[in-house]
Amino acid sequence: MSPKDLRYTEQHEWVRVEGNAATVGITDHAQQALGDITFVELPDTGQQVEAGGEVCAIESAKAASSIYAPAAGKVAEANSALEDDPSTVNTDPYGDGWVYKLELSDPSQLETLMDAEAYDAFLEKDQGGS
Amino acid sequence: MVEFGGYLLPVQYAGVLAEHRHCRTAAALFDISHMGQFLLRGADAAEQLAKLLTQNAAALDVGRDRYGFLLNAEAGVLDDCILMRLDDEEFLLVVNAATAADDREWVQSHLSGAVELVNLSAEGWGKIDLQGPRAADVLAPLADFDLRALQYFRCRRGRLDGRDCIISRTGYTGELGYEIMTAGEDVPALWDRLLDDDDVAPAGLGARDSLRLEMCLPLYGHELSRDRTPLEANLTAFVGDHEFIGGDVLRDRARSGPDETLVAFRCDGRRQPRPGNAIRHGDRQVGTVTSGAFSPMLEVAIGMGYVQPDAADDGTELMIDTGRAELAATVAPKPLYAQGTARTKLE
Repeated sequence: MSPKDLRYTEQHEWVRVEGNAATVGITDHAQQALGDITFVELPDTGQQVEAGGEVCAIESAKAASSIYAPAAGKVAEANSALEDDPSTVNTDPYGDGWVYKLELSDPSQLETLMDAEAYDAFLEKDQGGS
Repeated sequence: MVEFGGYLLPVQYAGVLAEHRHCRTAAALFDISHMGQFLLRGADAAEQLAKLLTQNAAALDVGRDRYGFLLNAEAGVLDDCILMRLDDEEFLLVVNAATAADDREWVQSHLSGAVELVNLSAEGWGKIDLQGPRAADVLAPLADFDLRALQYFRCRRGRLDGRDCIISRTGYTGELGYEIMTAGEDVPALWDRLLDDDDVAPAGLGARDSLRLEMCLPLYGHELSRDRTPLEANLTAFVGDHEFIGGDVLRDRARSGPDETLVAFRCDGRRQPRPGNAIRHGDRQVGTVTSGAFSPMLEVAIGMGYVQPDAADDGTELMIDTGRAELAATVAPKPLYAQGTARTKLE
């Protein structure tokens, strides 16, 4: 079960919203699918991003994947601790494994994202179909 | 699971990094049944194989293995392979999965005289590799012969856990280890028996790739192809001085010197270069990446690639363009991981 207090994208990012600030990471499902994370490309602070636009990338021992923006905004902070220990994304994807924080242009854009229940159903459907 | 040479193979079991480290510290078990196994036997087997391979079969002692290449007339590499001499008139040739069918056709079409090719893979033979510093401790109690007396790059027939096998002290990891060839029906039971040992964990294709890359062992389709010869790959140590297909062309090329050479490099960071990425030195493009991976032991990204000879010296600073980022890297001595136990002398 995915944490109830977060919102989710179809690209398997999670978002924690606090007012105008959004913290973004990848879901437990995503970290499991990628396997051992070996590198996280962090975005530059101040970088402007579009909703659905690519923000940064993540690499594992077996694959590479992009991380997208759940909504438009400006990158407020990147989790620099991941530079030295990217495996935190594997061990604590919803906590210390967060990737970046976004200052949202329009928090209402997040209303289209899935809640935990919808994301879990999405995963089930996704896995059933593959 | 991924498709590889017509087989479905696991990329990982517990995770690539854990499997890799387990191989370096204990023992990892790989199912390598996809590789081609050809038994060649007959009074003319040695002489016929010598004509086809860069390893001189005729000069190989019984019980010894030799790594080398199957070349075409232009000295392009059709495959890399290990030749095992089981008896005076009996050899086992182990080749790559994706090339096995073409190899068999090539070898068969060039054989003449008293020699027969038996395609063991087609008869369902499998292969499992037990690799790691604990491999001998795990395997010796199951053998009906003195396994510890089998030295590096030696092979023999024998029984393991009561099953007839061909055992070779070789591998693709740089660690002490054994390649075990046996009939398909015996593979699952032997696999399970070996996994019963607490020191043994299964490992998939992902770890196999990062282990071989730390050792700078070439992978066909990456470092080796028909477009290059063993000269560019810096592997002429595995070329005999006998007569074989492609030999004359290779020796001619050796006299003029290669126009590119295979190097290993170590990146400053963790980001992985990919095959096909351009390699620059200063403001010049000097080559192309053939393999890249994150090294679990060195904890940085590593790789191999072909570069112009003047950018091939150890310590040469390179810049690798992934299309998304520029990775600083340095040409480094092979192997990149120098603590492998493959050559350990056992009592």
